[in-house]
Amino acid sequence: MTESAREDRRPVLVRLGRVAIGAWVVFLSLFGVYWVEQILRGDEFARQAENNRERSVPVTAPRGLILDRNGAAMAENEPSFALLLYRRETRDLDGSLQYVAALLGRSREDLLKKVERDRTNYDFVPVLLEENLTLAEVGAIEARTLEHPEFVVQTSERRTYKNGTVAAHALGQLGEVSQIQLARMSGRVRPGEAVGQKGVEAAYQDLLAGSSGARTFIIDSYGRETAELERVEPVPGNTLYLTIDLGLQQIAEEYFASRVGAAVALDPKTGEILAFVSSPSVDPNLFTRRVSRKEWAEILEDPDHPLNDRVLQNLYSPGSVWKAFAAYGILKRGIDPSERVHCSGAATFYGRSFRCHGVHGNVDLATALQVSCDVYFYTMGKRLGIDELAEAGHAFGFGRPTGIDLSHEKVGIVPSNAWSLSVRKHPWYPGETISAVIGQGPVLVSPLQMSRAFAALANADGALPTPHLFHIGENFRSGERFIYRPPVKESVPFPPGVRETIVEGLWRVVNVPGGTAYASRVAGLDICGKTGSVQVVGQKDTKKAHLLSYELKDHGWFAGFAPRSDPKIVVVVFVEHGEHGASAAAPLAAKLCAAWLQKPRPALPGAEAAARPAAAQEAPAAGAGNGG
Amino acid sequence: MSRLAVFLPRRIDLTFLLAFVVLTAVGIAMVYSTTFGTFRAGLSGRQLLFVVFGLAAAAVLAFIDYRILLRYSPWIFAASLLVLVYLPLFGPRIAGSKSWIRLWGGFQIQPSEFVKLSVALLLARLLEGDDRPFLSGKTVAAIAGTIGVPVILILLQPDLGVALTYMPMAGTALFFGGLRARWWILLIVLGTLLVGGSWFLLKEYQKDRIRTFLDPGLAAQGAGYQVRQARIAIGSGGIAGKGWMKGTQSRLGFLPVRHTDFIFAALAEEWGFLGVSGILGLYGLFLARGFAIARDARDRGGAMLTLILTINITTEALVNVAMNVGVLPTTGITLPFVSYGGSSLIACWGMAGLCLSVAYRRFVNV
Repeated sequence: MTESAREDRRPVLVRLGRVAIGAWVVFLSLFGVYWVEQILRGDEFARQAENNRERSVPVTAPRGLILDRNGAAMAENEPSFALLLYRRETRDLDGSLQYVAALLGRSREDLLKKVERDRTNYDFVPVLLEENLTLAEVGAIEARTLEHPEFVVQTSERRTYKNGTVAAHALGQLGEVSQIQLARMSGRVRPGEAVGQKGVEAAYQDLLAGSSGARTFIIDSYGRETAELERVEPVPGNTLYLTIDLGLQQIAEEYFASRVGAAVALDPKTGEILAFVSSPSVDPNLFTRRVSRKEWAEILEDPDHPLNDRVLQNLYSPGSVWKAFAAYGILKRGIDPSERVHCSGAATFYGRSFRCHGVHGNVDLATALQVSCDVYFYTMGKRLGIDELAEAGHAFGFGRPTGIDLSHEKVGIVPSNAWSLSVRKHPWYPGETISAVIGQGPVLVSPLQMSRAFAALANADGALPTPHLFHIGENFRSGERFIYRPPVKESVPFPPGVRETIVEGLWRVVNVPGGTAYASRVAGLDICGKTGSVQVVGQKDTKKAHLLSYELKDHGWFAGFAPRSDPKIVVVVFVEHGEHGASAAAPLAAKLCAAWLQKPRPALPGAEAAARPAAAQEAPAAGAGNGG
Repeated sequence: MSRLAVFLPRRIDLTFLLAFVVLTAVGIAMVYSTTFGTFRAGLSGRQLLFVVFGLAAAAVLAFIDYRILLRYSPWIFAASLLVLVYLPLFGPRIAGSKSWIRLWGGFQIQPSEFVKLSVALLLARLLEGDDRPFLSGKTVAAIAGTIGVPVILILLQPDLGVALTYMPMAGTALFFGGLRARWWILLIVLGTLLVGGSWFLLKEYQKDRIRTFLDPGLAAQGAGYQVRQARIAIGSGGIAGKGWMKGTQSRLGFLPVRHTDFIFAALAEEWGFLGVSGILGLYGLFLARGFAIARDARDRGGAMLTLILTINITTEALVNVAMNVGVLPTTGITLPFVSYGGSSLIACWGMAGLCLSVAYRRFVNV
């Protein structure tokens, strides 16, 4: 066995010889390379090592500006200072953090957490320790770079919202990128960077962010920069023109300074949102600097929930405004609008008495809308049944998203038999229809849905526009523009004459004595609309309403459009605990209509871009991509 | 003969042993130097602890007759495949890849390093079973499978660096098993086409992804930063070096991953060309003794096992040394015995133990 094994070994030994020669050649070559590097070029490299204090800092791209439709600034950038820690310069991490924690008044543990978070990264990549240093802090740190070369102050730009809380919910806010976002946007954002967390800032994050650059420079042994080696310029984000008109927005904001609620103004044809108010709100500037624990607690404990977006995330009973859509159901059924119902201040249905807020006598449809007669609608509602009412609500886009380019939109409830069976697990009680027809009961809508539905009433063709805030995006460098591209159009199928009959009623609400919003009429504007008030609790005696405390007061609605022929603006105003739509909501709606319709029309920046449909592709995609 | 005679030192290959023990000691000194004063200080102590485990692994593997291990190598291989299948499916994701199994006390092991041993054992067995001057097609296929299956599983983790360290084993097995010239030509042409062709088919962003995958530093910094800094470190070391713990490039942190991938550059900076020559000499000695053990081995299986293991370790070392000075691209291959890393160190010691086992049993009539 031994002999045969030896025999077999011969080709192996020959091969072993070859491999050995090859291996020694490789060894000698590497000796040669190191000989050249260390001995022949040793002095040269030694000099480089001497001067070598090469550093590289990322340069965050300036975030795209957000402007209103006329180019007035809504979100801009201003210089700010960030503190970076170079771990590879750090001899004593604890000591360094102690020093800077005392200087900034932060806890050492918080800072250590930020260092830990970057632990897996290469140590020549700096850790972003703190943003928005004050000038005094910058001075203190710069004065001690000799002792603490590991800290470097980086100048960058900070987001500022110069109008404070104006349109705060529409604009949204920035915040440090979360772990989840970091994974989702891998490669496009670094840990510690600020990204859009809500509103337009979040929906169009990719459009606004641009892409960051980097600069590499040499510092001397005192930590001073001596020469720049490499500079990759950041690409600034795109400029965003919103559909909002800052003038109109300001009027609505002023009105809501002392009120809680929401207001939306739309261009009914395009769905462009002209004003977007959710009150109260939090100044988005707060989130671009350090938010103290106390400030956070105040925001979170505020009984008015300033973080809630009341335009599209809060749901309310529509109250009497719903009658406009019930009217659609009535007419669609083929009921003669001139048929009269007698209102004696109350009526009995299914053995229970339902009150009206007045005694209206014999009323037809248009009058019923004008005076908001409950008895007329009770009667007709009973005749229609809940499913036909639901069909009318669905036709106007209720119960589903409006498609606005902001995320987390709520869809509300349009009750029907099927809804009752699937959600409440019991059949719809016919008696409930009597309150549902006047917008009470389970019906829930968002002010945004209301504005879209009224746009359909305003448009002669019944078109249901998609409300949106994105107007025009503009490439910072090339100036190339891309406009909002509306999705497939929906519309309400009005049978002939139906829309005109409802509009007649809505016109009378504001323009004929006895109309619930007659006090808010503006001569020559022909505002059409509907008021509504929503019971917060069942009130036994409405006459004592003025005695009720704020929390128990009714919510007030007004939804409308102007002018009557070829409407140019839809306005929805909702005031929490405003008691009556007529007194609390309608005045602002009238003001907004007047301001918009009497305003001289400047050439809109959109007019020019609209002629270039080829470039109109990016915008909706960007909105949809961040909608989740 | 007394039982003591079995342990006579002359039967243990002392030169071979000395080579890797000194390399390990140098490694601990360099890990200490490159991590001192940073938040990684203390890794050298851990490395010392890994040596204890390495010693145990080497002792056990040297003590067992490698013939037994060769006999059971298919089973050992099958068991290690199970571990590699487990990892991509259920392993914890650490730093982007599922290459690790968590142990107690914050320790974790990287099975792909240990699987190398089972692959080497199975390869040696396959080559022993086919001792004609040139390998049969069947054996070639078996060799390809033995390497290919674990490599694919490791790429799924994904860990390209470790997968690459399996390649020298394939080359060694095929070369010493014997392959006709036309097969070599075919292999080289196919390999070139596969690698080169796929590169041209890729889109630019995909290439960038591969570049950053190969070298994460590229993404974080301007291209070539690491290599530039490593070359400055090596060059500035000169003949005698700046002295232990006195390397400015390394101490000031210009040198990236200096306790693992770039530990040789740190060594070159602190110990100069003399230190570089010494380390290269030790690897040369290790390889030369490996060849001698293979030549004197009792049987074909032992010879093949020793060749596969020592050539694999030495190739890895040479690639790392070339990578440090910028001759080869950065691929995350560490310096065996020297770089910080428990799994790699223990696996290397285990491989050395197998070689010692072959040397120890070189006389047929033990």
